[in-house]
Amino acid sequence: MSELERSLLRRLRDRDERAFRELLEGHRDRVYNITFRMLGNRAEAEDVAQEVFITVFKTIDTFREESKFSTWLYRVTVNHCKNRIKYLARRHDRDRDELDETNAGGEGVNGSIGGPRPAAPDRALEGAQLEKLLQDAIARLDDDHRVVVVLRDVEDLSIEEICEITGLPDGTVKSRLHRARLVLRKKLQSHV
Amino acid sequence: MSDSEDEMIAKLSDYLDDALPQAERAEIARKIESDAGWKAAHAELAETRRALSGLHKAHAPGSFTQDVTSTIHKRSAGRFFARRTLGDRVPFGALVVLAVLGLAVVAYLMWASQTGSLKVDHQAGSAAPGSSVQPTTPP
Repeated sequence: MSELERSLLRRLRDRDERAFRELLEGHRDRVYNITFRMLGNRAEAEDVAQEVFITVFKTIDTFREESKFSTWLYRVTVNHCKNRIKYLARRHDRDRDELDETNAGGEGVNGSIGGPRPAAPDRALEGAQLEKLLQDAIARLDDDHRVVVVLRDVEDLSIEEICEITGLPDGTVKSRLHRARLVLRKKLQSHV
Repeated sequence: MSDSEDEMIAKLSDYLDDALPQAERAEIARKIESDAGWKAAHAELAETRRALSGLHKAHAPGSFTQDVTSTIHKRSAGRFFARRTLGDRVPFGALVVLAVLGLAVVAYLMWASQTGSLKVDHQAGSAAPGSSVQPTTPP
C-alpha cells in the first residue's frame, strides 16, 4: 500500500469529508461500471454504487489493511450487487405471482435485467447491438458466474485479485470463469 | 456439452488467461495450430473475451458525489457533509494570518499616531505646553 493510500485511509478513519470526496472521485466510475455490468440497469447500478460508498464511509474502521484498499472496495461492491440481485429476483417472483393471480394467461412480466432482445439478430454483432447482446447475456448468467466474468473480462482484474475479492479458491474462480465464458460464447454463436 | 468440450474450453480459457505452465501452454498452442475444433473454439473464446473487454466503460452520473454526500448528510442527521458558509472547510490558517496582519496594522497606526498610546513620548516632562503641570505650592 502506498504512502498516499495510507494517508487517505488515516483521513477517512478520521471522517475527513474532503478525503471521502477524493475517494469518491477516484473510484466512482470503476465501482459504477461494476455495478452496471452486474445489474444491467443504470438506476439500480447508481443506487447500489451509492450504497457501496455509504458502506465504505460507515465501515472504513473495519478495513484491516490485509489487502489492497481497492480489493476491499470491490468486495463491498460485489456483496452489494449480489444482495441486490437476490432482492430483485425475489421481487420479480413476487410480482409474477401477483400477476399470475390477477391475470391468468396474460403476458409475463419482463424480468430481464438487460431488456428485450435485439430486433435484428443478423446485425447484432455490431456496435451498440453487440453491447446490448453481451449485457443481456451477462445478466442471464447466475450471479456467481457473473461476478467472475465481470471482474476478469470486463474489469481486467487478475485471478489472484478475484480470489481475494470473492474469498474463493483459485480453482473455483477458474472453473466459474470457464463456465461463464462457455455460456457467453454460445450466446454469441447463436446470434451470429 | 461433452466432458471433452468442457475440458477443451477450460484449457483454452487458462491459455487465454496465461495461467498454464510453459510446457502445457506450448501443447495447447500446437493443438490450436493443428486441430480445427480447437482452432475454432479458441477463436470464438478469444472473440468473446475481446468483446467483453471492449464493452464501453460506464461512467457514474455527474451528480454522483453530491448525491452520496447528501445521503450521508441525511442519514447522519446532519452530522456529516453539512453545508458551510465558508465551504467545506473553515480556512483557519488564512484566518490566523489575516488576524495577525490586522493586529500589526492597528499596532503600527497606534505607534505612528501623535496621540497613540504605544508611541514612546521622549519629551515627556520637558517642554510640552499642554502637558506641563504647574507644581502647586503648599500654602
